[in-house]
Amino acid sequence: MNCEALDTYVRSALQLQGYALDEASVQQVILQFERIAAIAQALESVALPLEVEPASVFRP
Amino acid sequence: MSQVADIAAALRSGSITASQLVEDCIARIRIRDIALNCFTGRSFERARAEAAAVDAMREQGLPLPALAGVPFAVKNLFDVEGEVTLAGARRNEDNPPAARDGMLVQRLRDAGAILMGMLNMDEHAYGFTTENTSYGPTRNPHDASRISGGSSGGSAAAVAAGMVPLTLGSDTNGSIRVPSSLCGVFGFKPTYGRLPRSGSFPFVQGLDHLGPFATSVEDLAAVYDVLQGTDPEDSACAQRPVEPVLPQLSTPRKLRVGVLGGWFHEQASEVAREAVRQCAEVLQAKPDVQWSMAEAARSAAFIITGAEGGSLHRENLRKDYAGYEPLSRDRLIAGSLIPGDWVVRAQRIRALALKEMLAIFEQYDVLLAPATPLPAHEIGTAEIEIHGKRLPARASMGLLAQPLSCIGVPVCTVPVWPQDCAPMPLGVQVIAAPWREDLCLAAAHLLEQQGVARYVEAAPQG
Repeated sequence: MNCEALDTYVRSALQLQGYALDEASVQQVILQFERIAAIAQALESVALPLEVEPASVFRP
Repeated sequence: MSQVADIAAALRSGSITASQLVEDCIARIRIRDIALNCFTGRSFERARAEAAAVDAMREQGLPLPALAGVPFAVKNLFDVEGEVTLAGARRNEDNPPAARDGMLVQRLRDAGAILMGMLNMDEHAYGFTTENTSYGPTRNPHDASRISGGSSGGSAAAVAAGMVPLTLGSDTNGSIRVPSSLCGVFGFKPTYGRLPRSGSFPFVQGLDHLGPFATSVEDLAAVYDVLQGTDPEDSACAQRPVEPVLPQLSTPRKLRVGVLGGWFHEQASEVAREAVRQCAEVLQAKPDVQWSMAEAARSAAFIITGAEGGSLHRENLRKDYAGYEPLSRDRLIAGSLIPGDWVVRAQRIRALALKEMLAIFEQYDVLLAPATPLPAHEIGTAEIEIHGKRLPARASMGLLAQPLSCIGVPVCTVPVWPQDCAPMPLGVQVIAAPWREDLCLAAAHLLEQQGVARYVEAAPQG
C-alpha cells in the first residue's frame, strides 16, 4: 500500500467506524496503521493451502 | 529455594504465625513500594482477616491447605471482591466493584494464600513497559531508572523486590514473559486454555493467558497445581483434569532440548544470545532449530491483537478518546481499522504455524529462546535498536514472545544474569509442546538447580 492509499484508507475507515478525531490524532493513527501494515506484510508471503482453517476457539 | 515450602514449614512448626507473616509483608510493601510503584491498591484489612483464619485453623489442629499463609498480589485486571477492576485504566474507576473474586484469585484464597493487593500494568494490557500515564510507571527493582516491562510490570517487580513471593499476571503477547525477563523472576504462561480467565478483564480473548510469577520453579509449580481445573464460565478453558506437576518436578529425566534459531537469533541482541547460550550448555541443547513460521506467527499475533483489542474498545474510544492512555490509544484505534482479510489470514497462519511446531516437538521435548531482545531500558525510551534496526519500544519488546503465545504453547521464563548487562537480568523462554507443562517446568527446574537461572532479590536503592 503506498502512502497516499494508506492515508486515504485510514481516513475513510475512521469515518466508517464513527470516529471523529482532530487532525493531530488522525496523523498518529495513520502512523500506527503504517506499522501494522508493515508487520502484516509477513502474512502475505505465506502460501496457505485451501484446507487450512482459521484457528477459532468458538465452541457451540 | 521454595518460599512456599519455607512458609508451610514455619507455620507447621509454630515458629511464626500467618498474622506475623502478613504484618512483615505489609511493612515490606510500605517501605519498598514508595520507590517502585508496584501497587495500585492494597487489601491489608482483608489480608489480616485471612491470616487470622489460617492461624485459627492451625490452633484448632486442622490440616493447612497447600498455600496457607503465602502472601500474594494480582495484576489489577483480576476481579477482587469489593474492589473496582481497573485493568490499568483511570476511566474504569467509576465502574462498580467486583461482586466476587476472579476464578484464579478464588482458587488461591481457597488454598490459603493471602491477598495483599492489586498491581500496576499497562492500560488494558496493551504495552510491554508498564509506563502508565495515569498511575505512573512501575520501576525496575534492579535499577529504578529503567522499565519493569509489561504489561504485568507490577506483578514482576513486586516479586523481584521481595515484597510478595507470589503474584498473578496475564500474557496475551508476552505480558508475563517480558516483565519476568526484565525484572529477573520466574514467570509461567501455561498452555492456552489451561487456566480459566473468568473474572478477569479481557484484552484479546483468542490469545489471553493467565499465569503466576514466583522466586523459584518449585513455587511456580506449587501455585500452578492449585490454579488448574475446569471452569464452564470460560469457553476457551479446556476440559482437562488437573495434572499436577510439583510431585514429579525433580524426577530425573533425559530431555531432548533445542535452541530456536532464525527469527529468535536474528532479533536478539548479543546479551540475549549469551543468556540462551548459558542455558543451552547446561541442557546440552542442539543449536539452530528452525521454525520457519516464527515471523509469520508474530505478525499473526500482532494483527489478531490489533483487530480484537481495537474492536473491544472501539465504542468507548469513539466516545472518550481523551480518557484513554495516550501511549496506546492510537494503536488501539488503528487496530480497529484492520481489514477482515488480514485477520482471517492471520488466524489461518496461526493454525499452520502450530502444525509446524508440533512436528518439531516430535524431535524435541523442550526448546529455548530469549524472552526479550534486550534487557530493560530507561523509562521514557521511545525506540529500541536491534542490530542497527530501530523499532518502537512500547510495541516491540515482545517480538520474541509473540510467536509462541500465538500458538498457545506453555512457556516458563527463567532469569539469567549475563555479565555484559550486569546488574540487569535477561530471561530465557523454556518452551514445551501444548499440555506438556511438566516438561517445561522440569527443564526450568534443572536450569535453576544448575545455578544458571536464579532469583536474586533486588536490594533497596538510594
